[in-house]
Amino acid sequence: MAPLNPYTYIQCPCSDSASLGRPTDLTSPTSADGDEDNTFDPRAPRANFSLYPLEYLLYCEDCHQIRCPRCIAEEIATYYCPSCLFEVPSSNLKSEGNRCTRSCFQCPICIGPLSVTSIETPPPSSTLLSPDHAATPHSTYSLICSYCNWSSTEIGIQFDKPNGIHAQLAKLRNGGASRLTAKERKERRKELSHRGGEAAVAAAAAVAANESSGGQDVDLETQFANLKLFCNSQLADPSAADNGFSSLGDLGFSSPSSLSRIMNLYTGGKLHDPRAKSKLGAMREALAADEGLLESNLNESSLITRLHQSDFLDTASSTQICSQPPNLGEPHLHGASRFNSSLRPVPYLLRTKRSKRCPVCRHIISKPEAKVQTTRFRIRLVAGSYIPSISIRRLNLPGPNGPAAPAILGDLLDPLKPVHFLLTFKNPIFESLKVTLGAPATTPGRFPSKVTVLCPQFDIDANTDVWDEALKDNDRESSSRSRRRAGTESQFQVEVGKIWERGRNWVSIVVEVVPASLKLEAGQDVLKEDEDVLEIPMFVRIEWEVENGGDDATSGPGRDKDQKEKRELAYWCVLGLGRIKQG
Amino acid sequence: MSRRPPRGEYIETDTGNKVARKATLVGTQNIMLGGKTVIQPEVMIRGDLIRSIQSSSSSSSSATPNNTAVAIGRYCFLSRASCLRPPGRLYKGAFTYMPLRIGDHVFVGPSSVIQAASIGNHVHIGARVVVGEFAIIKDYVRVLDETVIPPNMVIPSFSIVAGQPARVIGEVPEGGHEAFELRELYKTVGNNPPPAAA
Repeated sequence: MAPLNPYTYIQCPCSDSASLGRPTDLTSPTSADGDEDNTFDPRAPRANFSLYPLEYLLYCEDCHQIRCPRCIAEEIATYYCPSCLFEVPSSNLKSEGNRCTRSCFQCPICIGPLSVTSIETPPPSSTLLSPDHAATPHSTYSLICSYCNWSSTEIGIQFDKPNGIHAQLAKLRNGGASRLTAKERKERRKELSHRGGEAAVAAAAAVAANESSGGQDVDLETQFANLKLFCNSQLADPSAADNGFSSLGDLGFSSPSSLSRIMNLYTGGKLHDPRAKSKLGAMREALAADEGLLESNLNESSLITRLHQSDFLDTASSTQICSQPPNLGEPHLHGASRFNSSLRPVPYLLRTKRSKRCPVCRHIISKPEAKVQTTRFRIRLVAGSYIPSISIRRLNLPGPNGPAAPAILGDLLDPLKPVHFLLTFKNPIFESLKVTLGAPATTPGRFPSKVTVLCPQFDIDANTDVWDEALKDNDRESSSRSRRRAGTESQFQVEVGKIWERGRNWVSIVVEVVPASLKLEAGQDVLKEDEDVLEIPMFVRIEWEVENGGDDATSGPGRDKDQKEKRELAYWCVLGLGRIKQG
Repeated sequence: MSRRPPRGEYIETDTGNKVARKATLVGTQNIMLGGKTVIQPEVMIRGDLIRSIQSSSSSSSSATPNNTAVAIGRYCFLSRASCLRPPGRLYKGAFTYMPLRIGDHVFVGPSSVIQAASIGNHVHIGARVVVGEFAIIKDYVRVLDETVIPPNMVIPSFSIVAGQPARVIGEVPEGGHEAFELRELYKTVGNNPPPAAA
């Protein structure tokens, strides 16, 4: 079993503590009056979403409250590519999408970064044997993954230039064929319509032409363009194209009257509105490929035989397919295969720098500098500089039978044997803190362990300047150590109501825990995941006094400047102490 | 652990570097230490892998070629059996090594191999990590244990990276910046380190 490092999670007050009780507690009377009395249960299913390590929490100076990643409002300051670290203006974002449009690509197989490498081309073909070409060998470039050795040549893609890969790739289809441009598409259409005078004949010819050329030539983009053109022409001239498609016309999938018909349905009108009927059949469905009709390729036998022949590892996983950006140059979904060999390089998704606001007062509580390369923050109100940090250490006292074995973090806790833990509270603010702790006598859950906080009330001295600390470093270290030694060396004993050790801006106290036995009684379910972890909910209340600043809105004009204002903050936290030995 | 070597395990320099006697530093004249850096036993730094082709700009400006192979900033911590190796590649048809630059407050975990082009400030690299050739790690990055960073990968600031190959799995929270400071860690090692706070 993985060893467990002691941890402290703090509950953000944004989650409603009243609703966090155990489901079995539902019988208890209304939680409205008992808000303070309700013990926070770290094992409640919802508790997972409100507990955070101290580093993840922010602090709003105006509301005097902790803010967690779940309750802050984020605003995106900058978009940038995580690979080339270039900033992407938000106007580009709207037109180009949320991926890097430079040359940053990820391997579609292993997500490693792809680098542009020139390929040694074989001696030039007959066209290049002319004297002016012989001097400069034509080199092509490919994207190569240096982690798994995937190369874009595997899907038949090579580039002419080493830069602007994104634009080049957009024009290429797998296998190296270039994607049709709008102009080419138009020309092709013209060619087709020249063959027959009438629309119907042209359609038939197009079908025939498509069939002869394999039928898979229509990519998504072409199909959409064809369909759009067809619909536009239908809308413009509804009477022109009339044919025997009345059976489908009745349904009116694409007719402009469909909207009025649906409206009739919902407004209680008759199903067959005479007015609508007169207009039905005005539009017809697309009939041919050049009108945007795409026949489903239901014959997948070739694909199936290929699957039979290939390895499982040759097929793309769903995450690989999902990470593929939409590619308009590819055939329709029916033609798309699920093989690794059809995956294309994935352009990097952009990353953001975000500033964070308090959801209540809308003040900004975290704001990074907009430039991508800088790591400074203009505003950074982290909870760690407002509320005391709690660190946990196992305390091994020399017992009656000889000296104690050195405590190892992550050791399993023996059930029903009292253990002592040292909690060290460190005060980050420049005022002295008054801390009051509250913990339930037994931990909630199926296996209640007994918890005793030996010193639930204490003061922590104020933090001092960093420079003071640096200058007095050696001095302080020795004095604080001696302070403890003098008091405790003679009697290595845990005293109720006494602080174990105190330093310049920190205080250590002892918590005694008797871990529960994990023996299952008859009829009890098996041990659930992490049920052997000893977690103590603890209510922390800190009080401190601040000098009334003139800028504080709460200070009235009549108040004395010297008067100190009392502040308090209270929150639940969870101390994870270790795993209890089983059996 | 209980028996202290008579001469002291570390050599402490004027600039506060603590270099273990059992560390293997090859080509020491090409290794630049910014000061207050800890190099633990069995660490290997390949300072001999210098650039064999001088870039045109530097050779023209100065007569003495700049041969720095590994440059390390202040308050770095190279754990036991880690290896720093300048990356090498073909450049204009010839193979050459390029300098490996490491910023301040960089922790390198035990048995990790670093072949990055540059590592920024406040970077934590876990144990048994492989950083591929010419990878660039920016500031405030945490690389979890047993990660393999592929060559040429760029890891932006405030990333938490894990996996083989490495992928960005999270962001360093705002409150987590102070955890990268290595000043306290620096104080805990040396020939006569102060006993750990009891």
